[in-house]
Amino acid sequence: MSHAFYLDLDRCTGCMACAVACMDQNDLELGAEPTAWRQVFTVESGTYPEARLRYVSLACMHCEDAPCLMACPTGAISREAGTRAVRVNAELCIGCHSCSIACPFGVPRFGKDGTMQKCDLCSIRLENGMEPACVRVCPTKALRQGDPNTLNQDVERKAAERLAGSS
Amino acid sequence: MDKLERMTKGKIPGAETGIEVRKSICTICDPTTQCGLDCYVKEGRIVKVEGTLENPQNAGTLCAKGAAQRQWVYHEDRLRTPLKRVGPRGSGQMVPISWTEALDIIAENLQTIKAESGPESVIFYCGYPKQPRPFLQRLAMLYGSPNYCTESSACATAAAMAWRLIYGQVGAPELAKAKCVFALGRNPFHANTTMSRHLMDARDRGVKFIVADPRVTPLASIAEIHLQLRPGTDGALALAMANVIISEGLHDREFVSEWTRGFDEFRTYASEFTLARAEEITGVPAEKIREAAVLYATSKPAAMMPSSSPVVHHVHGVQYERATLALVGLTGNFDVPGGNVPAPPSWLHVSGAGFVSREHEFEMPRPWSELPPRLGQTRFPVWTEMVNECQSMDIPRQIATGEPYPLRALVGFGMNYRLWPDSEGLLAAVKKLDFIVDVDLFATDTSRYADIVLPTCSSLERSELRCYPQKYAIYTTPVIEPLGESRSDTDIIFALAQKLGLDYQVFLDGASPPGAYHPNGAPDFTEAFEASLDWILEPSGMTIAELKKHPAGMAVPDPIPVTYKKYQKSGFSTPSGKMEFSSAILEKYADYPGIDSLPLYTEPPYSPVASPERFGDYPFVLNTGARLPMFIHSRTFRLPWTRSLRRDAAADLNPADAQSLGIAQGDRIELATPTGSIRVRANLTHMVRPGVVHMFHGYPEADVNTLLEGDYLDAISGFPGYKASLCAVRKVAPGSAAATEVKR
Repeated sequence: MSHAFYLDLDRCTGCMACAVACMDQNDLELGAEPTAWRQVFTVESGTYPEARLRYVSLACMHCEDAPCLMACPTGAISREAGTRAVRVNAELCIGCHSCSIACPFGVPRFGKDGTMQKCDLCSIRLENGMEPACVRVCPTKALRQGDPNTLNQDVERKAAERLAGSS
Repeated sequence: MDKLERMTKGKIPGAETGIEVRKSICTICDPTTQCGLDCYVKEGRIVKVEGTLENPQNAGTLCAKGAAQRQWVYHEDRLRTPLKRVGPRGSGQMVPISWTEALDIIAENLQTIKAESGPESVIFYCGYPKQPRPFLQRLAMLYGSPNYCTESSACATAAAMAWRLIYGQVGAPELAKAKCVFALGRNPFHANTTMSRHLMDARDRGVKFIVADPRVTPLASIAEIHLQLRPGTDGALALAMANVIISEGLHDREFVSEWTRGFDEFRTYASEFTLARAEEITGVPAEKIREAAVLYATSKPAAMMPSSSPVVHHVHGVQYERATLALVGLTGNFDVPGGNVPAPPSWLHVSGAGFVSREHEFEMPRPWSELPPRLGQTRFPVWTEMVNECQSMDIPRQIATGEPYPLRALVGFGMNYRLWPDSEGLLAAVKKLDFIVDVDLFATDTSRYADIVLPTCSSLERSELRCYPQKYAIYTTPVIEPLGESRSDTDIIFALAQKLGLDYQVFLDGASPPGAYHPNGAPDFTEAFEASLDWILEPSGMTIAELKKHPAGMAVPDPIPVTYKKYQKSGFSTPSGKMEFSSAILEKYADYPGIDSLPLYTEPPYSPVASPERFGDYPFVLNTGARLPMFIHSRTFRLPWTRSLRRDAAADLNPADAQSLGIAQGDRIELATPTGSIRVRANLTHMVRPGVVHMFHGYPEADVNTLLEGDYLDAISGFPGYKASLCAVRKVAPGSAAATEVKR
């Protein structure tokens, strides 16, 4: 089974708990640069009195055909067998930023030692039956994680309920 | 990396990694939330936190502040020992001293001041956390001072006063059964995240949200109708809605005729607020106001979800809140399923936890009538009649004038002087006191002015009793040892009671609090604390021993059942026994400026309408103190994790205003009033209306409360007008640092 993140945009409120839970789980040391592995964005549209705010929490998507993995010249980026998480081995990373160029989501971050770091899907927690820290903390349950087909079936069920006018 | 290394790094609990999960609660934000906390502890140190799944309040979730718990507990600014000031006040020159010396100095000073000037010359103050409050109030009262006050001088109390003036009680929204929710100035998605999932579920069930808020909050973003009013016009909006409801015959005639006082006067007054006039005052289109009024009045049942403070953070805030809350009874939504339902108080500001306690008897060992007059007694008579503590906004005046008697000392727990409007004025007054004690977790700007500073510990290092409206209660035990020599707030209070020779244990069959002192003199009164809690909990049927058997908390046994329309049996606990559109209590004080028995609408003193001349020079409405997701007041400013989410002190400005002032995102700007100025960054956002600038409070480098005047206060509650005054905005040189300038 593969594991994916799913974000229900209608339930994300920009509370940023996911970003901090990730920092706590991964002992992130933050300097002046935006090196956090999970970032929360406020996206504004329209102007007064029709202005609208939406929120998006983003981290590594753990793509199946991961462009970063293909671009990495040293094999530092690999796919984990069980969880299929895309992981980076700092010892092999040469800090060439090829992954940054390849990643369509702007996920790679570079710490003090210049090597790439990013979300590892909390794969060790998954292996031990626990949710990723960002998913566990989410106050609205906007952020979920699991098998993409199962996640999508939940979304589909909600859509079906909407179509049937039951909510 | 081998498996064990990965498990240890991933903080997987178990025998192999030596990581144990221990239960506690978070009190970083300390209104009513108190999320259950799972602390992952390895070798006596917390390595990670997570929300407790079993706790019905947060059900495994946390907010950005709570998730940063570890940096809060282990922060380098934590006080480790008692300190004694050796340099001038404010210099920060302090030396460590022993607990014995610190407690003896405090006791000696308090005894001397009591003998020379009377016990009333000592102020006892409690900010956050709230657990020490009943204990500190008891200490103050037994010492003989009526001057016990808290941060509630500017939070929630005024809203509760408004409820009580009308209904005699506060009615909590019953979200689970409501078909419509009317929220005012409230942003629970950032301020009370434990409500978030319930609100989203309600939205998904088809519940209609009406949100009155000057800002485009995430709640406004899911609302059916967003009334984006000009700050300071809440009262006019509510009166116009009442007028629509009454004139269109949508009010609950039976309830109104049988159970209310002063309806005819109210109707006559509200009729002055036509939709056209309301649109002119509030800036909200007339049709939207009408739609909101009709939706609220016709969706039965509808729950009103007022905020604890924003509406009452106006110079006429209690009147605004009364006009708003009157809509609940007017539409027949008081004490009905899915409306606003009152419940008896349980413990520490939580009502409806399914039990009652003896908290009030504990904190009030003697009646006010046996004590000298309180701070603010003459200036805020309604507060004094209704609230069981003094109004601390009167501190600067009484220190300056010495009337009705001089104040000489202050014992503060978790005090931040930047709470007060004209914060530097409050500080200047406090600095004149003969003796100041500050009890805090961290070395703060306030502690620099204290003569003796005592180190307290976080909720994770001590025990705490909390309860929840889900009929659930928890008593925690420490998950780690207190850092350094720090002790709990209540250990400190019990020790002071003992050193002062007070008969603190009067309810506990013995005058002397059972307590011990560690070899370094640090007090340990766990036994006395738990015995007090057992006494307080006696009517609930719960005991500390039983609660301890359930580290994650337990369901309250045989909870008091939820019932409705309780007024039909016993009437309303108001002077008339009815819901009061016209208040009998306020009628007594009608000759005070700013007080009237009807919820009259008055513009804030500084507003585009009330002070057009000032508006010419200061053409922005200054709105302060709305919650940000990563901060609760100043409490998490110093944590790198939360600070990384909003690094600089920044004011929110509408992009249209910014453009006309030539201001770009991140530019340095100055907010100025006649009393001072602050320099911050500009944050361009459509969250605020054009013509309004919003600034978060409490930044030491840019304290927005220095822009307000110390007497910009509501006559009924004494609450400051944080939400609506006037300021000027201009761009300043890019290199200029954040700064505060105060004109005196």
